[in-house]
Amino acid sequence: MTDTLVRPPMSAAALDADDRAALVESVRRLLADRCTEADVRRIMDSESGHDPALWRALADLGVVGLVAPEAAGGAGLGPVELGMVMEEAGAALLPAPLISTALATTLAPDLPGVADGSRIAAVAFAGSHDWTGRSDVRLDGDRLSGTARFVPDAAIADVIVVASDDGVFAVERGDVEVTPLPVFDRTRRMADVAFYGPATRIGDAARVKATRDLGMVALAGEQAGGARRMLEITVAYATDRHQFGRAIGSFQAIKHMAADLLLESESATSAARDAARQLAEDAPTVDAAVALAAFACADAFVRVAKDGVQMHGGIAFTWDHPAHLYLRRARSGAQLFGDSAVWRERYIQALEAQA
Amino acid sequence: MSMSDEALRGEVEAWLAAHWKGVPAHSESFGRDPRSEWLAKVRDAGWAVPRWSSEWQGRGLSNDQAKIVERAFAKVGAPGAGQDRSNLWANTALAHATDSFKREIVPQLLAGEVGMCLLYSEPGAGSDLAAVRTRADKVDGGWRVTGQKVWTSGARVADYGMLIARTDWDVPKHRGISFFFLPMKQQGVEVRPLRQITDEAHFNEVFIDNAFIPEENLLGPLNGGWGVLQTALAYERSVMGDGARGPRSGADEPKGDTALLALAREAGRLDDAVVRQDVAQVIAWRVLNKLNTARAKAELAQGTSSPIMSLGKLAMSRILHEEARVRTMLLGPESLLEGPDHPRAEDANFLSLNAYFTSIGGGTDQIQRNIIGERVLSLPKEPEIDRTIPFREVRAG
Ligand SMILES: Cc1cc2nc3c(=O)[nH]c(=O)nc-3n(C[C@H](O)[C@H](O)[C@H](O)COP(=O)(O)OP(=O)(O)OC[C@H]3O[C@@H](n4cnc5c(N)ncnc54)[C@H](O)[C@@H]3O)c2cc1C
Repeated sequence: MTDTLVRPPMSAAALDADDRAALVESVRRLLADRCTEADVRRIMDSESGHDPALWRALADLGVVGLVAPEAAGGAGLGPVELGMVMEEAGAALLPAPLISTALATTLAPDLPGVADGSRIAAVAFAGSHDWTGRSDVRLDGDRLSGTARFVPDAAIADVIVVASDDGVFAVERGDVEVTPLPVFDRTRRMADVAFYGPATRIGDAARVKATRDLGMVALAGEQAGGARRMLEITVAYATDRHQFGRAIGSFQAIKHMAADLLLESESATSAARDAARQLAEDAPTVDAAVALAAFACADAFVRVAKDGVQMHGGIAFTWDHPAHLYLRRARSGAQLFGDSAVWRERYIQALEAQA
Repeated sequence: MSMSDEALRGEVEAWLAAHWKGVPAHSESFGRDPRSEWLAKVRDAGWAVPRWSSEWQGRGLSNDQAKIVERAFAKVGAPGAGQDRSNLWANTALAHATDSFKREIVPQLLAGEVGMCLLYSEPGAGSDLAAVRTRADKVDGGWRVTGQKVWTSGARVADYGMLIARTDWDVPKHRGISFFFLPMKQQGVEVRPLRQITDEAHFNEVFIDNAFIPEENLLGPLNGGWGVLQTALAYERSVMGDGARGPRSGADEPKGDTALLALAREAGRLDDAVVRQDVAQVIAWRVLNKLNTARAKAELAQGTSSPIMSLGKLAMSRILHEEARVRTMLLGPESLLEGPDHPRAEDANFLSLNAYFTSIGGGTDQIQRNIIGERVLSLPKEPEIDRTIPFREVRAG
């Protein structure tokens, strides 16, 4: 028997605590089986950085189309469930286009094949939503030109979705030029995408900001999950490893770092879940909550991963130890959708607007 | 029979509408509470400790229902509800005192009718509280106590002190300690104020010379005081994780999580990118601490133990020290001043000093990190050379 996602009886809001726990458990089981460290390394070392069989398994579970509307073949769930799934994905370093798919199915639910995983969509943010500050995508009539930079998953995409101030557009893979980038985090592939032809308008610009926020909530969940797992790995090592006749975790220099990292990773978890809840409820303070999660989770994951390497000593300086995989993932997430300084500025702007 | 949430909300709101007329502000957390007349009403109506059973002035409400009560009180700004979470003295007594003493003391504690202090620290026993040398010797009808305590906040206005004293010197240090309610207003208890770095004198030295404790004021088992102390410390630390005394100038001060933003605006510094980043970060820490606490309480209510609960005090230390740093940065050279003509500087300087109340008092940040590392993350303890030998043989100094 294969697991399938528990479908909510009525609407996204109706998934109760038990169903959510079951969802998380089924994702955790699948990842424990199909996304081990060895799998991550295999996918990371592959040409495409993508494992179609794993993607299919995720689609069968209902995770690929998690936030796509039921009418479009998705599970119709919301930011809270997406965040929970992403915590598991982050812990396992899942190299799969989950965030891109969540973005694409929110911006353009009708894009064929994306919600069921048969086609992959990459999303390029342009104009005022360009988080790279380096893209120059322009719309002239019905034609797009210029280059979108650092587009996650673009090299494996069948379709590129452009989210701009002028609207949401789709361009088939064959109509753009994709240049894969030599990324430092090989578990999150990115590419530059050059446009030089007609684009199909598939949605208006009104959706773009909320979708970007959804992507941020997904990323925050991934970072919180990654931070917690990296801390677990580190604490386990500090318990086992002995020097001077005692476990290194009994030295305060190590123990106190671990305590501080627990504060960071738990705060990240609280922030990620609060942002997901507020986005689901469209709460009046959602802008502040998303911004807070953005920098709190990015900073926490980077700090936990960095200090975690230090606490391991030489073993973590080896390629074969998983610590650097988390550090790389933490560093790539800390740029995606804007860095912490940008989000701290957005946070204070949101607070000013509330006052 | 449990009542519906609506009915409960209606009842508490109606009760508040009938009774709540405001009380004097209460900034000092020591001595008898000037609001005790109001607090007694809250207690008698069952709102002070709604999670407790009716036998103990409670209503046996669930956690969620108790929150309805707390929210109704918070909405009108009335104090006194939710003490089943926050009243360190009453919770410790309820958990460990003898029935007869509980009946006498718990109602008074809930109404703030008695002043309290904590007689833990000694000159030779601070972080290492199990090294206390104050002695309690059994006599007819109770105990006789002799020793010296220090850093005792509120001792001058206290009616009782929660005291740890050694009752067996021939066993290892954690196993020979007992926990008492010491009556403070008696011959043999002398309190001498100490001048603090804030130039206040809240904490004191307490010299105890052959003072008497009645039999029934022993909490928990004889020589089982270490366990009682853990209960009391957990409540104290959880309260400290929720916040600390605010600024003392009383000058109309921006309040709430975003007070720093208002101060930055007032100081005309909101166009400085560095200031904006720092203000955002410190506010973020405050908000994150609240989110953590809320999540911890929700997890506790579901019956799982929450590791997050022990993080609050450490988080609050950083918040208070960093808030004071940013307030100082906003003021620039004005922070060189103090006194009533310079309330913002007075506040920034006071807060920069009083932050140590949280990072030293109630167990230092270093001790909190030990506790989180050992009890939450299960990292191995430091070797303790004095843990297993009779206390009599432990080297002091
Ligand atoms: C404002 C204020 C109010 C207080 N009120 C009260 C009160 O009402 N009642 C009461 O009983 N006490 C009170 N205290 C005392 C307080 O609990 C102690 O000061 C505190 O526990 C530290 O003890 P100590 O001062 O003896 O410092 P020490 O224990 O000597 O510590 C000195 C330094 O050594 C470090 N250190 C000690 N042991 C360790 C270790 N194992 N690992 C790592 N570092 C270590 C400490 O972190 C600190 O930095 C108060 C203190 C303050 C500042």
